[in-house]
Amino acid sequence: MRDIMISIRTLFFLLVVPLLVSVVPSHAGLRPESIYQTGTLKPVDSILKVAVGDEAPDFTLPSVGGDPITLSDYRGTKNVVLSFVPAAWTPVCSDQWPGYNLLEQMFAEHQAVLLGISVDNIPTLYAWTAEMGDLWYPILSDFWPHGAVAQSFGILRSDGTAERALIFIDYTGVIQHIIVSDINERPPLEDIAAQLARFPKP
Amino acid sequence: MIKTRLITMVLAWVVCLVPCSATAQQAAAKMLPDFTLPVPSSSEYQAYLGVTGADTEEFNVHDIDADILLIELFSMYCPYCHAAAPAVNELYTLMQQTSQSGPRMRMIGLGANNTRFEVDHYQHTFTVAFPLFADKDMTLYRLLEGAGTPGFVGCRKNEDGKFEIIVQRSGEFDTPEGFLQELLERAGR
Repeated sequence: MRDIMISIRTLFFLLVVPLLVSVVPSHAGLRPESIYQTGTLKPVDSILKVAVGDEAPDFTLPSVGGDPITLSDYRGTKNVVLSFVPAAWTPVCSDQWPGYNLLEQMFAEHQAVLLGISVDNIPTLYAWTAEMGDLWYPILSDFWPHGAVAQSFGILRSDGTAERALIFIDYTGVIQHIIVSDINERPPLEDIAAQLARFPKP
Repeated sequence: MIKTRLITMVLAWVVCLVPCSATAQQAAAKMLPDFTLPVPSSSEYQAYLGVTGADTEEFNVHDIDADILLIELFSMYCPYCHAAAPAVNELYTLMQQTSQSGPRMRMIGLGANNTRFEVDHYQHTFTVAFPLFADKDMTLYRLLEGAGTPGFVGCRKNEDGKFEIIVQRSGEFDTPEGFLQELLERAGR
């Protein structure tokens, strides 16, 4: 019996352990198995409350970095792009923001800042964005009152997540452009570049 | 005790058979699927790949003039690709150096789910010197059985002028030197 037990243990180490090691990708990080698969969702599930030419609703939100961020603090000095994403640990969102990590220079050329916003709480956003590497832009939590900022723009979906939306606000605080994407798809970079180029110089 | 050793030896023998069996499967040549890419507008890239034509035309991947071809599957939105980009650039440099006195080695990149604009931005950001192509609808990624980015498909050209797949991996390689060596060895060089 003891011999059989030893053999089973031997079999486990020789066969199962190498198998377990081999199925874990060498590029650990946002591992595919850590992403919750949402399936295909209703493309847009809200009605905008703002329009181009409106003054953007002001807000103050806590950030993953620790300091609260107030939109109106940028008035007079910086153009602002708000990037709302639906939820942490979901497809599309989990590559959209890492991709924006390559846009720092593009934003700087247009005197613009990028603010990432999600309705997730700070601990969730901390864990999620830590997997993305060092993001150069602030990540803000619109968790409580739940989705209040998304609601003020009219981009809070009926399930409590936000739309995948980009709001372009010039340095005077006026909305220059709004992109509410199909939630299942990532907005192409060229659309962002084109709108950044249209920003006035502060 | 003797029985235990005997059983262990048998198990070890069984384990050894697994890679042997895998090797046997690899022996059956897996050819690079046929697909086309747009002719690069850059004359430098046309010369690098050995293809000609207007940038509105397409060329077959098997027409690339190379003894060894490495295809990188990447995405502008993939943080692992960002991290791996310097090492991939280093591998390209090593491949260029090898090509001067050895087999002609070429590398291309396919931007999975990326637009042309996004691919260009990636190329500019990381100063990628080899040609990159957009694979917006991920047709090529699926055709090449991509399983995450970055991914790599290494091929050697057979006597019939067709590329045979000799390396397929997802995830970063350990070192550019080691991966170059692996490519050369698998290509029989």
